[in-house]
Amino acid sequence: MAVYLDCNATTPVEPSVASVVMRFLEKDFGNAASPIHDYGVFALAAVEHARGQVAEVIKARRDEVIFTSGATESNNLAILGLAEAGIGRGRRHLITTAIEHKAVLEPFEEMIRLGFEVQILPVQADGRFDPQRLADALRPDTLLVSTMQVNNETGVLQPLTEVADILANRDICWHVDAAQGFGKELEQLRHPRIDLISISGHKIYGPKGVGALIARKRDRQFPPLRPLMFGGGQEQGLRPGTLPVPLVAGLGEAAKLALRSNGERIEKCRTFREKALATFAALGAKQNGTEECTLPHVLNVSLPGINSEQAIKALKRVIAVSSTSACTSHTRTPSHVLTAMGLSPEKVEQSIRLSWCHMTPEVDWHEVETILRGLRG
Amino acid sequence: MNEIFRELEEVTVEQYDHHDLPKWLADPVLMVARTPESYQGKEYLIEILVAQVREYDVYAEAGCCKWAYDHEDIKRTLRWLEEER
Repeated sequence: MAVYLDCNATTPVEPSVASVVMRFLEKDFGNAASPIHDYGVFALAAVEHARGQVAEVIKARRDEVIFTSGATESNNLAILGLAEAGIGRGRRHLITTAIEHKAVLEPFEEMIRLGFEVQILPVQADGRFDPQRLADALRPDTLLVSTMQVNNETGVLQPLTEVADILANRDICWHVDAAQGFGKELEQLRHPRIDLISISGHKIYGPKGVGALIARKRDRQFPPLRPLMFGGGQEQGLRPGTLPVPLVAGLGEAAKLALRSNGERIEKCRTFREKALATFAALGAKQNGTEECTLPHVLNVSLPGINSEQAIKALKRVIAVSSTSACTSHTRTPSHVLTAMGLSPEKVEQSIRLSWCHMTPEVDWHEVETILRGLRG
Repeated sequence: MNEIFRELEEVTVEQYDHHDLPKWLADPVLMVARTPESYQGKEYLIEILVAQVREYDVYAEAGCCKWAYDHEDIKRTLRWLEEER
């Protein structure tokens, strides 16, 4: 069996997370919205416990955590949920970056259809957007700035601290898609200036199908979000529907472990990284994205003289890797992230992404190198 | 395993000594914290109890929304700990 190196697509589930999920599937199956007997009350207690566990990771308040089906839904709620406020206030200017996930870029396309103007910031060759460009783009009618924390294809950490300084004392909503960084890089998301944060369960060793939008209150007020769905009033009216208690409890457990084991996980990923970097350096690969800002569990490289599709196929019995994000890898569209970073179409076609975690076993790097050299003939 | 019980003891003592947790509620919680061998396999409930004690607020039910835990929550969790849950 190949070693799984596609943890940015999805991570394996921590054993204790699986245990918690099973408990609420099999035994404690109550509905958190029916706290009229012990089944419902216990389900509600589990949901509130999970809410606290998620909030603790970024030092938010428990009541600021809105459970959703995942980061895609959270992004949609954060962006489309502000449309009414923007129209009502006559603020129709939105800013985002060229390297966002499609779950951000496509809601922005919908906002254009609704009459908003979207400004997309370019990125530099190092994989980061320039905060000064953001500062220059701000207008009196800017409603929303949406910037990701960590890019899903390159693992590059974005300059959020600088953005926080730029947006200080400005009445502009700031949304951060933190699907790839929540529970991994802890400090950035604790900045109180960030209004909205999207997170995902299955990127932090939790279950698929659950995530959250963290909506920080300012002056005791949520950002002016409107729900995208109606019926039931759950999650403070912002996300109605029966909560999937097993998934929510699993997300809580995953968040707890992310906080508790952060340092240990980073160390394991760094150790793994050294071997990966050495292997690809020996092959003359060029890293996409600046190493100093890349999280330790991701490596995106272009391999001169080797097409990525060929490489992935040739390596499939040794390591399981991908060429781009999971959500676009089936479309055969060249990576919009690497293209935005200024890579030539040839270099984009030669790129592969490796992403691992603290549970990843050893890889036979010598075999990886031998296979890739063989592809060059 | 004992780490979560130690945490329960610490947070309970802190809430009793410096905040509003009453003695009649602190005592049974401390009893749980100091007899971990009786609650093996119930760590998930202990975690919930730690959070409830940490966020204990006499006036949890006073506002329009309940965003703290009160004595009813803690009593209920103590009851669950004694049951087959």
